[in-house]
Amino acid sequence: MLSQADKEILSNKDFRRLVTVRRWVSWSFLLFLLGFYLAFGLLSVYFPAFLARPLFTGGVVPIGVAMGYAVLAMIFILTLAYVWVANGLFEPLGQKITTEVER
Amino acid sequence: MRPRLMPYAPLLFLTATGAQALDGGGSEINLTAILMFFLFIGITLFITWWAASRTRTRSDFYAAGKSIGGFQNGLAIAGDFMSAATFLGVTALVYSTGMDGMLFIIGGTMGWAVILLLVAERLRNLGQYTFTDVVAFRLERGPVRTMSAIGSLAVAIPYLLAQMVGAGALIQILFGLPYESAVILVGVLMTLYVMFGGMLATTWIQTIKAVLLLTGGTIIGYGVMSLMNFDFGTLITAAVNTHAKGAAIMAPGVMFTDIITIISIGLAFVFGTAGLPHVLMRFFTVPDARQARRSVAYAIGFIGYFQSLIFIIGLGAVVYVSRNPEFLLADGGLIGGSNMSAVHLSKVIGGDLFLGFISAVAFATILAVVSGLTLSAAAAVSHDLYANVIRHGESDRDTELRISRITTLVIGLTTMALAILLEGENVAVLALIALAIAASVNFPVLFLSMYWSRFTTRGALAGGYAGLATALILVLLGPTVWVTLLGFERPVFPYAYPTLFAMLANLSCAYYFSVTDKSHRAFAETESFDSQWIQSEIGPVEEQS
Repeated sequence: MLSQADKEILSNKDFRRLVTVRRWVSWSFLLFLLGFYLAFGLLSVYFPAFLARPLFTGGVVPIGVAMGYAVLAMIFILTLAYVWVANGLFEPLGQKITTEVER
Repeated sequence: MRPRLMPYAPLLFLTATGAQALDGGGSEINLTAILMFFLFIGITLFITWWAASRTRTRSDFYAAGKSIGGFQNGLAIAGDFMSAATFLGVTALVYSTGMDGMLFIIGGTMGWAVILLLVAERLRNLGQYTFTDVVAFRLERGPVRTMSAIGSLAVAIPYLLAQMVGAGALIQILFGLPYESAVILVGVLMTLYVMFGGMLATTWIQTIKAVLLLTGGTIIGYGVMSLMNFDFGTLITAAVNTHAKGAAIMAPGVMFTDIITIISIGLAFVFGTAGLPHVLMRFFTVPDARQARRSVAYAIGFIGYFQSLIFIIGLGAVVYVSRNPEFLLADGGLIGGSNMSAVHLSKVIGGDLFLGFISAVAFATILAVVSGLTLSAAAAVSHDLYANVIRHGESDRDTELRISRITTLVIGLTTMALAILLEGENVAVLALIALAIAASVNFPVLFLSMYWSRFTTRGALAGGYAGLATALILVLLGPTVWVTLLGFERPVFPYAYPTLFAMLANLSCAYYFSVTDKSHRAFAETESFDSQWIQSEIGPVEEQS
């Protein structure tokens, strides 16, 4: 069923590394963000008063608003991090595997 | 009283609308708005004419010849997301409920992280023109494509309607044009763009609109902050002091109080965005997976920035619009409803000139988004159903393109008629229902086909149809349709958003019917997962002779 080239790729050390690292990076970033969002949702149902509390005593910006902007900032930072890893590691690994197989 | 005249040739009608609106009691006509509006129509028609001469092949029509760069595609993708529902609807949500709007703001951006981390690169590596290509990569083409195409249409049509209904109401207020004529005007323009200009015209129109909307949003946001001496705390205090609900707007729970609704909305945003056919289609307009990744990264930058402005704009509208008699009706409601809060605010910030600019931008937004949606619906019919299911992948180019153009025309006419019937519906709710279907039909099927080796044709069909049926039935029995549209006293299903249940229905059926599938076909499908996995990771490996 599998072609010879595919078998070679599957057992290729670089391919295994590419798959493992990408899986780890993608899922850890994603679960982190989803966890934060879920926490926001749970807090807004069960502890709305907590989200309404000011972030700093005497201040007026509520924790909920600060959390909202924090999530936006985290999404942005993790995006940059992912692109950085992808350009620095995934792209070269992918190209290396492709040229090895084509040879 | 609203002018109710037989809508005929809308472009012609528009020139006569000043007089109509004045004696019909509509809002006064803004000259800047009219000029900008004609300028935009002129430019977009020119782009369509230019694109038409460059649209010869299927790749040109569906994917702009795969020639769009990551930056421009990022703008276009952001443009697809920054629809009238986001700009006007979410601003309205912040305007009326304060922090509950934050749930939409975060969710809307979160969906893009899913696309970046799980979907974009693999989609580009595996597919050709539509996400259905990816689902059908190793599964049986006919039935799976039929199901995904139905999923695409079930998302694109309500979403299209949401935008058209919003467009009709908006243009009615901004330009004094009767609702029906406004809907027909939008319908005719989007049909022209897509029929003749295909993806190339659609992408350019979306790009221009994204730049205009980002500029407009920045000016409003900056204007609000400068009135507040650039102190976010002052803005919040002023909003709390002005809003009828007072300090309650800075706590969640004005609108959403139960966990099921919150989870359903969250799921709809987080996974629904990655199931929107018109958004997924944009990943095929770039040359490779690297550019696909760049596209999302830029899109996330633009979207995150825009979403952070929305909260400021919404609060700004609370302060400067909600108590301003200029924008209020006799009963204290906002002229044009809360969806108009951002537009009214623009008048406070920059007077009639800027109001005209924002009105034209809002109009451009609607046009650009409906064009993308129409194209994705047309591709679902011509590429997925006609070329691959009916003709088994053997269609000739000219016939397929003719079919997609005829489909575009049919969709244009149908949505115009439906939008006229649906006058007055809340646009954000309609859009969220589309997102719910995207999350409970398209996304699970796409995700499982890319990541789960045991996923089989039988599982895909069972899951997809179970998700679709659950979503549609629950929307029908829920408060939006059962109570508001059909007039029953109590909803059979208490929640407006069916995503949680429909997604679970999809995933559990997909799982059960895949693992119990012992057919030869299922065995072969599992076998071919490895080569699909390789291609999704490193792209197609060309001739290895």
